[in-house]
Amino acid sequence: MKIHWNRDGRRHLINYAMSGAALACVIIALIPLGSILWTVIQKGGPILNYGFITGAEVAPCNANSQLNCQIGGIGPAVEGTFVMLGLASLIAIPVGIGAGIFLAEYGRGRVSRTISFLMDVMSGVPSIVVGLFVFTALFYYDIPNRLHIYNAYAGALALAVIMLPIVTRTAEEALRTVPNGIREAAWALGIPHHRAVRKIVLRSAGGSLITGALLAVARAGGETAPLLFTAAWSPFFINCPPGQSALSCLDNPVGALGPLIWIWGTSPYSNEISGAWGAALFFVLIMLAISVTARIILYRRNQRVGG
Amino acid sequence: MSANEAQGSGTTNDQDMARMRSQKSGGHGAIIALGVVLILVVVGVGVAYEEGWLSKSSGNASAAKTCNIPNQQTITGAGSTFVNPLMSQWATSYNAYSTNEVTYNPVGSGAGITDITGKTVFFGASDAPLTYAQTKAMPDQQLTFPESAGAIAIIYNVPGVAGLKVNVAVLSGIFLGTITNWNATSIQALNTGVKLPNATIIPVHRSDGSGTTYAFTQWLSLGSTQWASQVSYATTVTWPAVQGEQAEKGSSGIAGYVSTTQYTIGYVDLNYALSNSITFAKVQNPAGNFVNPSVSSAQKAITNVTAEAGFSLPAATGNWSSVSMLNSPGSYDYPITTLTYMIVYQAPDVAYGSSMTQLQAEALWNFMNWTISSTGGQSYSGALYYVPLPAGIIALDKTTLASMTWGGTAIPACI
Amino acid sequence: MTPGGDAPSSERSPKLFPFRNWGDGLFFALVASVAFVLLGLFLLLVLILVQGSWITIEQFGIGFLFSNRWAPGQNPTFGAVPFIEGTLVTSAIAMLLAIPVSLGIAIYLSEQSPSWLRTPLGTLVELLAAIPSVVYGFWGIFVLVPIMRYSVEPTLKAWFPGNPLFAGPASGSDVLTASVVLAIMVIPTISALSRDALAAVPQSQREAALSLGATRWETTRMAVLKYARSGVVGAIILGLGRAVGETMAVTMTIGNADKSFTSLIAQGQSMASLIANEFGGADYAEYRAAVLEIALILLAITVLINVVARVLIWRLVRKTGEVTA
Repeated sequence: MKIHWNRDGRRHLINYAMSGAALACVIIALIPLGSILWTVIQKGGPILNYGFITGAEVAPCNANSQLNCQIGGIGPAVEGTFVMLGLASLIAIPVGIGAGIFLAEYGRGRVSRTISFLMDVMSGVPSIVVGLFVFTALFYYDIPNRLHIYNAYAGALALAVIMLPIVTRTAEEALRTVPNGIREAAWALGIPHHRAVRKIVLRSAGGSLITGALLAVARAGGETAPLLFTAAWSPFFINCPPGQSALSCLDNPVGALGPLIWIWGTSPYSNEISGAWGAALFFVLIMLAISVTARIILYRRNQRVGG
Repeated sequence: MSANEAQGSGTTNDQDMARMRSQKSGGHGAIIALGVVLILVVVGVGVAYEEGWLSKSSGNASAAKTCNIPNQQTITGAGSTFVNPLMSQWATSYNAYSTNEVTYNPVGSGAGITDITGKTVFFGASDAPLTYAQTKAMPDQQLTFPESAGAIAIIYNVPGVAGLKVNVAVLSGIFLGTITNWNATSIQALNTGVKLPNATIIPVHRSDGSGTTYAFTQWLSLGSTQWASQVSYATTVTWPAVQGEQAEKGSSGIAGYVSTTQYTIGYVDLNYALSNSITFAKVQNPAGNFVNPSVSSAQKAITNVTAEAGFSLPAATGNWSSVSMLNSPGSYDYPITTLTYMIVYQAPDVAYGSSMTQLQAEALWNFMNWTISSTGGQSYSGALYYVPLPAGIIALDKTTLASMTWGGTAIPACI
Repeated sequence: MTPGGDAPSSERSPKLFPFRNWGDGLFFALVASVAFVLLGLFLLLVLILVQGSWITIEQFGIGFLFSNRWAPGQNPTFGAVPFIEGTLVTSAIAMLLAIPVSLGIAIYLSEQSPSWLRTPLGTLVELLAAIPSVVYGFWGIFVLVPIMRYSVEPTLKAWFPGNPLFAGPASGSDVLTASVVLAIMVIPTISALSRDALAAVPQSQREAALSLGATRWETTRMAVLKYARSGVVGAIILGLGRAVGETMAVTMTIGNADKSFTSLIAQGQSMASLIANEFGGADYAEYRAAVLEIALILLAITVLINVVARVLIWRLVRKTGEVTA
C-alpha cells in the first residue's frame, strides 16, 4: 500500500512519536524506583548485617561531636513489627476468611454485592484515620481498668482493621472460584453444607486464601501511620516484667520499623540517620520479598490455568 | 500489590483479585502451606512470650545493690522535646544499671502536662512549670521535680556571618514582624563591622506545644512590652503573622530547617545547636554583655539566679508558675536559661489505682533518684550539653523524693 | 471465568435454606455474625470519630469547613480550609503528573511492548507499590528535596518570574515536592488498573480498527481507550483516593505549615499530615477534637472518592461481562 507522505506521513509520525512517548513513560516511572533502591542500598548496605537487625538500640549521638558514637541496632523495632503483624494476622485472617465465607457461600445477589462493595470502600480508608479510630476507641475516654495507653495490642488491632477488608475480599473471591460442582457433589453425598465448606471448599481454595492473606500482610506490614497513636514508640525489646501476668508483656509501647524510620530519619543525630538507612533497606527488602512471593504464587497459578 | 501506606485498594484488591479469579482452585499443597504460615505466625507471637526475643539490653549490673531495686519494670513518660536526647541516653544507661525500661514519648511539654494530668503516663516532662490553672487541674497531689536545666540558643543561618549579636529588642522585633530585613539598622547597630546581607528574615518557631517556646516567649515578654501585650507567653502562642515565617515540629524540626535554609532565625535548646554544629548568636544579658550560650554560661546563670538574695523555690507540692531562671544578673551569664521539670504524683497508688503496681512506683522513684545522682543521670548532662543542677536544687529534689508515698508510707529508698 | 462452564456462585442451590441440620444453622450464624461485625466495625469508626470531634462540631458548626485560621494558641480557633486546600492541591498536582505517565505505561504494556518484556516491566512498575510510604518520605527528604530546592524550583522560578504560583524562596520541602512524591506513589495503582481495563477490551475491537487502516496509536486511541473508558477513569479515581489518604511521605516533604495555599513552593499541610504532626501534641480537648474533625472530613472525602471509583469499575465489569478489576 503506497504511503502518501502528505497525509499518511503525519499519521505514521504521530504513531511513532506516541510509541516513543509511551516507552518514555515507563522509563520515567522506573527512574524514581531505581533512585530509591540505589539510595537505600548505597546508604543502608554498609551497616546492614545480622547484628544490626537483632541488636539493641543505643542513645542518639552525633559522630562529629562525640567520640564513641555508635549506630546500634534495630532489633526492638524488628521484633515489634513481627509481633504486631503476627497478632494482627491472628485476628484478621480468621475473621476475614469467615466474612469471606459468608459472602461467597451465602451471598445472594444484592446483599452480598452491597457488603462486598462496602468492603472495597473500607479498604480505602486512610490508615492514619484507622489509627486514630483505634486510639479514640481505646484510650480517649476514661474507661476504668483499661489497658496502658499506647501498647502493642492497640497497634496490632489497628493493623488488623487495615487487613480485614483485604482478607475478606480476597477470601470471597478465592471461594467464588471454587466450582459449584464441588459443592453440589458434596451435597449429593449427603455432607452437610457447613462441613462441605470447611473440609472441601476451603481446601480447594487454599492457595488463593494464602495469597490473599499474604497480600494483606504485605499491606499492613508497610504501614507507619496507624502505629503512631496506638503502639507509639519504644526503644526496648518487648519485656515481661516480673510480678505481672503474661498478657502485660505487650501492654506497653512498642517500636516498629515504620515509626523507627520516621523518628530516626527526621532526627538531627547522625547515628540515627545512618541507622534509618539500614532499617529502610531492611524494610524494603522484606516488603519486596513478601510482594514478590505473593506475585510468584499468583502468576504460577495463572500459568497453570493457561487461559 | 501494595505494601505501603495509603489505600492499597488499587493493586492489592483489584488487579490481583482479577488474577485470582482466573485461577483454577488448588490442591493439597495449599492447605499445608496455609498451615505452615499459621504455625509460623503463632510461633512468632509465642516467641515474644518466651526467652528468645526477651533479651534485655546488655546490662551488666555493676554496682552492688543493697536492697532490691525492682527490675524489668516499664515506666512511661511523655513531654518535652528539649529533654529528649538526655532522656534517651538516660533510658539506655538506666536500663543497664537497673534493667528497668523508661519509655519516653517526646510529644512536647504541653502534651506532657496533659498526659500526666490525664494519668496516661507515670511522669510528665515539661520545660514550662505548671501554670496556676494547670496546678489546680491536677486531680491528685502532684510534685514538681526539676531534673535538668538548659539554655535556649538563638540559631541562625546567614552565609558569611559568624558570631551574630542580638538582644531582646531585636528578637522581639523579628518575631513580631517589625524587623524584616537582615540589614535593618537595629541589627546592624549591634554588629558593627559585620556586613549583613539585604535579605528577608525568615523567623522559625515551634508548631507544637513547647516549654522551649514558653521560656523564649517569657524572655521576650520580660524585654518587650509590645510582645507582652500582643502575644505574651505560653507553651503554645499565636505567633504574629510574618511573611515567610515557618513552623516546625520539635526543636529538631527548627534545628533541621534552620541548618538547611538560608536567612532563617529560630530558637532551640542548646544541646540541639551544639550537637548539630549550627551557628548560634550571642545574646545580650542584663549586664550588657553579649554572651555565647554554653553549658558553663548557663550553669553560672542558674547558680546565680538561685543564689540571689530573696530567691526561693516553692515546695514541690506548691505552685511553680512564677519560677523563672531568666535574665541572671551575673556579668557573663547567659540570659535565656530554664529548668526542666518532671511532674509526678505524690501518692501514685492513690492517683493511678490499679493502673500502677507497687513495683512500678518503686521503679519510678528509683529512676528519679538516679537522674539527680552525680554518678547517675547528672553525669551525662555535660557531655550532652545539658546543664547539671546546682547543689541547692538537688537537695530540694531529694526532699521531694522522700515525700513520695505508697500505701501511706514513704517509698523505700532503694538505690 | 471458571472452567467447565459452571454457574456463577451467586446462583445457589435452593437447598441451603432452610437449614437441614443444626450444624448448618450454627455455621451460618457464625459467619454471618462475623460479616456483620465487620460492617459494624466500620460504622463504629465513623461514630467514634463523630463523637470525638463533637466539641468542635458544636463550637464551629459548618464554619469549620470554611475557616482558614488554624491557631491552637491562647485564644484557639480552628478551621479546616488550609488542610483541605493542602490535600486537594497536592493530590491534584500528583494526578496531573501521574495520569499521563500511568496511561503511557498502561498503553505501552498492554498494546505495544513485546510480550516477553511485558511481565518483567509490569512487575518492576508494581514494585513501586511495594516500597513503604515512610521510605518514600525518607528518600524524599534526602534525595528529592535537594533536587527540587537546588535545581527544579529555581528553574521554575526563572521560567515564570513573578508568577504567584512560584513565589517565595525555594526551600525544597513544600507542596510541589510532596506532590511529586505522591505522583510517584500513585503511578503503580493507576497503571496496573488501567492496564487491566485495557486488557479487557476484546481483541475484535482492535482488529476492526486495524483492518480499517488505523495505525497502532489510532487503534489505541479510538478503539481501545474509548471502550475501556470507565475502567480507566475508575483507576484514576482510585489513584486519587490513595493520594488523598497518603500520610507519611507527605508529612516528610510538605514543610508542615498550617497556612492556606499561596504558592506551590511554599510550605503547606495536608489533612493527613496535620493529624500525624499535631495529634500527639494536642494538649487540650478542643485541639484534639479539632484534629479528629479533620480526620472525619478526610474520611468523608476518601469514602466519596472510593464509592465513585468503585461504581465506575463495577459498571465496566457489567459492560464487558468479564471481571477485570
